[in-house]
Amino acid sequence: MNDGPLIVQSDKTLLLEVDHPAARECRAAIAPFAELERSPEHVHTYRVTPLALWNARAAGHDAEQVVDALVRYSRYPVPHALLVDVADTMDRFGRLTLVNHPVHGLTLATTDRAVLEEIIRSKRVAPMLGARIDPDTVVVHPSERGRLKQALLKVGWPAEDLAGYVDGQAHPIELDQAGWHLRDYQQEAVEGFWAGGSGVVVLPCGAGKTLVGAAAMAQAKATTLILVTNTVSGRQWKRELIARTSLTEEEIGEYSGERKEIRPVTIATYQVMTTRRKGEYRHLDLFDAQDWGLIVYDEVHLLPAPIFRLTADLQSRRRLGLTATLVREDGREDDVFSLIGPKRYDAPWKDIESQGYIAPAECIEVRVGLDDEERMTYAVAEPEERYRIAATATSKLPVIRRVLDRHPDEQKLVIGAYLDQLDELGRALDAPVIQGSTTNKERERLFQAFRTGEIKTLVVSKVANFSIDLPEAAVAVQVSGTFGSRQEEAQRLGRVLRPKADGRQAHFYTVVSRDTLDAEYAAHRQRFLAEQGYAYTIVDAADLAGPGEVNGPDWVDEPAD
Amino acid sequence: MPADRPATLAAWLRTRSDAQLAALLAARPDVARPAPSDVVALASRLAVPVSVDRALDDLDAATLQVLDVVLLAPTDGVPAEDVHAALPGLPADVVDAAVERLTVRALLWGEDVLHAPDQVRRAVRHPAGLGRRAVDLRVTLPADLPAAVGALDPAEREVLERLAGDRPVGHLPETGGPGASPARRLLQAGLLARIDALNVELPREIGLLLRGGLPYGPPRLRPEPAAVERDAAVVDRQAAGAALEVVGRVGELLAVLEEEPAGLLRSGGVAVRDRKRLAKALTVSEADAGWLLELAFAAGLLDVGGPHRDEWLPTRGYDLWREQPLPDRWGALAAGWLESTRLPSLVGSRDMAGKAVNALSPDLVRHTAPAIRRSALAALLDSPPGRGLAPDDLVALLRWRTPRRADRLAPVPDMLAEAGRIGVLVGGVLSSGGRGLLTRGEEGAADGMQGLLPEPVDHVLAQPDLTLVAPGPLVAELADTLAVVADVESSGGATVFRVSESSVRRALDAGWSATDLHDLFTRASRTPVPQALDYLVDDVARQHGRLRVGAIECYVRSDDHGLLSQVLGDRRTAAAELRRLAPGVLVSGLGADEVLTVLRQAGYAPAGESPGGAVLTRPPARPRAAGRRPGPPPSAAGRPLTEAEAEATVREIRAGDAALAARPATPVRQVPGVTTAGTLELLSRAIREGIPVWLGYVDAQGSGSQRVVQPVSLAGGFLQGWDERRHENRTFAVHRITSVALVDEEAPAAGNG
Repeated sequence: MNDGPLIVQSDKTLLLEVDHPAARECRAAIAPFAELERSPEHVHTYRVTPLALWNARAAGHDAEQVVDALVRYSRYPVPHALLVDVADTMDRFGRLTLVNHPVHGLTLATTDRAVLEEIIRSKRVAPMLGARIDPDTVVVHPSERGRLKQALLKVGWPAEDLAGYVDGQAHPIELDQAGWHLRDYQQEAVEGFWAGGSGVVVLPCGAGKTLVGAAAMAQAKATTLILVTNTVSGRQWKRELIARTSLTEEEIGEYSGERKEIRPVTIATYQVMTTRRKGEYRHLDLFDAQDWGLIVYDEVHLLPAPIFRLTADLQSRRRLGLTATLVREDGREDDVFSLIGPKRYDAPWKDIESQGYIAPAECIEVRVGLDDEERMTYAVAEPEERYRIAATATSKLPVIRRVLDRHPDEQKLVIGAYLDQLDELGRALDAPVIQGSTTNKERERLFQAFRTGEIKTLVVSKVANFSIDLPEAAVAVQVSGTFGSRQEEAQRLGRVLRPKADGRQAHFYTVVSRDTLDAEYAAHRQRFLAEQGYAYTIVDAADLAGPGEVNGPDWVDEPAD
Repeated sequence: MPADRPATLAAWLRTRSDAQLAALLAARPDVARPAPSDVVALASRLAVPVSVDRALDDLDAATLQVLDVVLLAPTDGVPAEDVHAALPGLPADVVDAAVERLTVRALLWGEDVLHAPDQVRRAVRHPAGLGRRAVDLRVTLPADLPAAVGALDPAEREVLERLAGDRPVGHLPETGGPGASPARRLLQAGLLARIDALNVELPREIGLLLRGGLPYGPPRLRPEPAAVERDAAVVDRQAAGAALEVVGRVGELLAVLEEEPAGLLRSGGVAVRDRKRLAKALTVSEADAGWLLELAFAAGLLDVGGPHRDEWLPTRGYDLWREQPLPDRWGALAAGWLESTRLPSLVGSRDMAGKAVNALSPDLVRHTAPAIRRSALAALLDSPPGRGLAPDDLVALLRWRTPRRADRLAPVPDMLAEAGRIGVLVGGVLSSGGRGLLTRGEEGAADGMQGLLPEPVDHVLAQPDLTLVAPGPLVAELADTLAVVADVESSGGATVFRVSESSVRRALDAGWSATDLHDLFTRASRTPVPQALDYLVDDVARQHGRLRVGAIECYVRSDDHGLLSQVLGDRRTAAAELRRLAPGVLVSGLGADEVLTVLRQAGYAPAGESPGGAVLTRPPARPRAAGRRPGPPPSAAGRPLTEAEAEATVREIRAGDAALAARPATPVRQVPGVTTAGTLELLSRAIREGIPVWLGYVDAQGSGSQRVVQPVSLAGGFLQGWDERRHENRTFAVHRITSVALVDEEAPAAGNG
C-alpha cells in the first residue's frame, strides 16, 4: 500500500496531511483541480467540484493528470467509480466551443454531434441558438454570448469561449517600475490572464492584486473600466495607478455617488452601478460610454447580481476578475465561471506568506464575564436585542483598554458594528471615530494621519471592512460584529495582514462576552479562522496581564525605536 | 445399409454404446432420475417437453442453428453432409461439434442421416427464427409471391423485413388514425397471419424469400470480443477502493439504523420515507441507500426485528461483523451479494401496477438470480488476471451461449454494475478478491483483498477548527465512542468528525463527564488537544444539568410551611408517599385522588387544584361518547361504460349467437373431472379430420363456458385451437375441459365417451 499524504473521501473532498514529507509536492499536484476549503493546522481539506475540474481543463490540465495525481498521492485505494466520475466531468468541458466563423460570425461548434443535438433540444438553451450551418455548427447572436455560456454551464456542458475580443479604444499605459518591480507571481498571473483572454486571478489579501490589475492594463494598452466595492477602495486604486503607472491624475476618472467622471480609465463602484431609481438602473450606460478594452472586477466574490446581468452583455470585452477566494456565500460561482471566465491563476498562499508578502497574524479571543446587572438585562432581553446587549456590554471597555495598553507602540484599530458603542469607545480611548456618516474627505484625512503615525488608535465601524489600505495597522481589536459573518472576519483580519516594514507579527483580538450569543457568534468566526490556518488562543480577561505585570505575556512587542 | 438403419429413436438408442448412453444421461440428468426401466421408457422420458426444453436451453447459438437445419428440412432425416452444405458460414469443425453435442443429448438421432424427435420439433417454436408454414397459419399466399412482395411500399416491406429477422411474431400496433397501418394492410393482403388479438406471424415462405441466400440467418459464430486489458495491480487497488467505500457505507447505514430503525411495511420492505432519511443521513442518493440496504440484508447484517417484529434492525451478525478485519468484512458482503436471490437494481422501479418497488420488498426475489450472477462472472474467470470483457461484450457472449435463455440475461448489466460497486469487478476485469470469491467463496474473497485494505487506526488528529480527523478506518471501540461525542462530517478512506456544542451536550447526556471527555481527547488524539476544544467542553459542561426535569403524579402545596412539615411528619399520611421538593411544596408519585383521600382520612382538609392553579369544586363532567361524524353521501351514478367495453360486449354477444347456431340440439352434458382416453380420442379425431368441436371448459378463475373450437394440435396436456367465439388462437388445458362434442354430430359424444 501507498503511504501518501492524501486521503480521498467519498464526498470528493481530499484530506491532505500537512506534516507528511510529500505534502508540498502533493499540494502542487492537486491545487489546479481542487479548491482549498479549510486549512487548519494538521489536515487541510480540498474539494473537487465540477467547476474546479473545468477550471483545471481551461488551464490545460487533462483528466489523466488529475486521476494520476489522485492515485499517486492517495494513501488508500481510490474507488474506481470516483475516478471515472472525475474523468467524465472533465470530458464535458470543451466539447462545445464558441468561435468566430469567417462568414457567419459568432458560432457554437462541437466536436461531438450528440452533445449539440442534446443542447439544441434543451428548453433552456434552444432559444439562444440561431440557424444551423452544418451538422456541427450553430449560429449564435453575439448578444447572447454570455447568457448562452451561463445556460450551457447549467445544463452541464460548459463551452470554451474562443471567440476572441475587441481591442477597444487604444490608450497608452505603461508600468512605471522605478524603485520597485512586479513580483514573479504577479507577472505569472498577468501572463496567465492574458493568454486565457478573460478570467479570474486568485491572490490572497495583501498580495498585491491592484498591481496585477495595473499590469494587465499596461498589457492591454486600452481604455479600462475598473469596478470596485466602494469609494475609498476606488481612491486607493487611483493612488496606486498614479504611483505605479504612466497614468496621470487627469486620465483617471471616478464614477461614484459623489462624482461622475468618465475618463480613459474610469473607476466605478458596484453601488453606483446598481443604484436604481423608479425601478431602473440609472448608470448602465457607463458600460457603453467608452469603447472599453478591458474591464477589471475587484473582489469578484462580492460581485452583485445586477453586475452579472450587465456582464453578460459585455462578452466581447476582456474581463479580469480579482479575488482572494472563489467561494461565494450566495453560491454563484458558476456565474463567475461562465461570465467573467475560468480561474487563470491561483497563487500558492503559503509561498506568498513565506516570501514575506503577508504579515503573520496571531488571533486572540478575550473572554469577558458580564457583571450581574448586565447578565440580568441580557437574560430578560428580547431575542433580537440580545446580541446587541452582549456585544456592547460596558464590561468590555476596561478589557479593551488593557489590550491596547499591551501594544503601546503599534498602530491600532478598534473595529465595531454599533455606533453608540463606537462613540463611547472613541470618548473613553480618546481616539477619532470613523463611521458611515464621516465624510470621505474626513476619512481620507484620518487615514492619512494614521498612516503617518500621527494617530495611534482609530475606532472604525464596518465601513472599514473592505479595501482600505492601512499597511501600518498591526493590532486590530474587534468588539462587535455582524452576527458572526465569516466574510467580515476575513476582511477585518485582512486589515492587519499587510506586510509590516520590519516583518513584525500582527495581532487580531476579539473581545467577547462569556456565555452569551456574542460568544456563540465568536465561535463561528473562530472556526473560520482556524479553518484558514490561523492559530488562535482563548484568554480570560482576568488572565490578560499588561506588559511588565505578573503573568504578563512574554510576547509583548518591544518598542520599535 | 439402409435396411439396418434404426427406424425410431428407441431403436437408435439401442444401437448406442454404453459410454454414449452414459454421456446422454450425464448431459440430461433429469431423464436418469428415477432410472428408466428400458430403452423405450428412456425414449419416452426423453420426449417429456420439460426435459427437452431444459436440454435445448443449455445449447449455444451455433448448435441451435445446426438443429434448425434439420428441423427445417422438408423431409425428416437429413444427411450430415447436407448440414455442412446448408451452413457455409460455419467452420466444419464447429458443425461437427454441434452435431455431436445434439446426438449425445438425443436431440437429434441417427448416424449418417439425422432425425429430429417430434418433441424437439414442437419445442423449437420458430426454427431459425422463421414462422410456421402458410398452410398451418391458415393463410393463402398470393400465387406469385416474389411479385407480390416486390410490389409492396417501403413501410410495408420494412415490417416484413423486421419479422424475417430473429422473431417472426410481432405486435400489431394500435390503430391510430383513419388510414390502415402497414401491418394491417399486409394482413389484408394475406402476407401476414393473425394469431390472436394482438399478434401477427410471418409465414415461413415469405421469411425464406426475404432471406434469400441465407435461409438460416447469418452464421451464429461465437463472438470473439476484444479483451479488456488492465494492470492487475491497478485493478486490485481500485477494487480495494470500492471495497473500502462499500464496507464503510454499510457500516454507517447500520449505525444509523441502530439509532433509529426503519419500519417494516405491511407489504414487506422499507418505506420510501425511511429510504430518504437514510440517504440524507449518509449523504448518498436514494438509489444508493436502497442498494446499501439490500447489500446489508444479503450479507445477513440487517433483518426484521424489534419487540413487535416490525422494524428493520442490525442483526447479531452485525456485532460480530464490525469486529472483524476489513478484508473479512468485505468477504461477507461480497459473498452475501453473490448468493442473494434478490435483484437490488429493481428497487424504485415500477411494477406491473405502476407502483414503485420498495427496498427489501419481497417482490425483488428472483430465485434464478444467484445462478445468473455466478454464470456471468464465471465467464470472466476464464481470462487470466488483468484481462476481462467490457459489459456489453460479456452480455453478447452470454447471449450466444444460451440464446434460448436470453430473457434471463436482462439483469446482467445491472449485476455487473453492482459487482463494480462492490469491488468484485473493475471495468470488466475481475479483481483478486472477485476471483477468490468465485473460486473459494467468502474466505477466498477475504484472502484476495488481504493486504490491499488499510489497517484500522486507533487515533485521531484533533484540529483547532474542532474537527477530529481519523486518518483511516477506526477500530470499532473508538468509532463507537466518537459516534457519541462528535458528528461525522465526511467519510471515506478517512473520517472527519466535528465536535460541536450539541455533540458535547449529547455526550454529557449519555453520562460522560467533562473530565472523561478531556481524557478521551488527550488519549485519542495524536496531535495536542487544541485549546478551543477544551474550552468548548468546559463551556458546555458548565451549563449542563443546571435545570433538572423529573416526573411526578401530584403535588401538595401550602403557604403554611408549618402545616406542610406537620403533614410530612404525620405517620398517618405515610401512605401518600410524600417528599419535600422545595419549601412550600411536597410531591408524590401517587395520583391526586389517592393523596386527597389519604389526607382527608388523616383529618386534613385539602382542596383539589386544577393545572392552572384554581381550586376544583365542581364534580367532573358526566361521561359522553364522541358522536359519529357524518361521512360523504354515497354517490348515486355508476361508472359509465366506455366505448371499448361496449364493443367487447357486443362482440361476445355475436360470438355467443354464432356458437348457439352451431350447437347440437341437446346440451352438452357436463361431466366434471372426466378427461379420459375417450375425450382425447375425440379431440385427436377432430384434429385429424379438421372438424370443429363443441367444448365445455372451466377457466383458471373457475367460471365455466361453452364454445366452438377448431382444434389444431394436442400436446403436453394442452389443446390448441381456433376459438370461434373470441376469433383467436387459444390454448386449453385438457384437464379443464368438461365435455367435448363434434359439432357436426347429431347427439353429443360427451367427455365420458
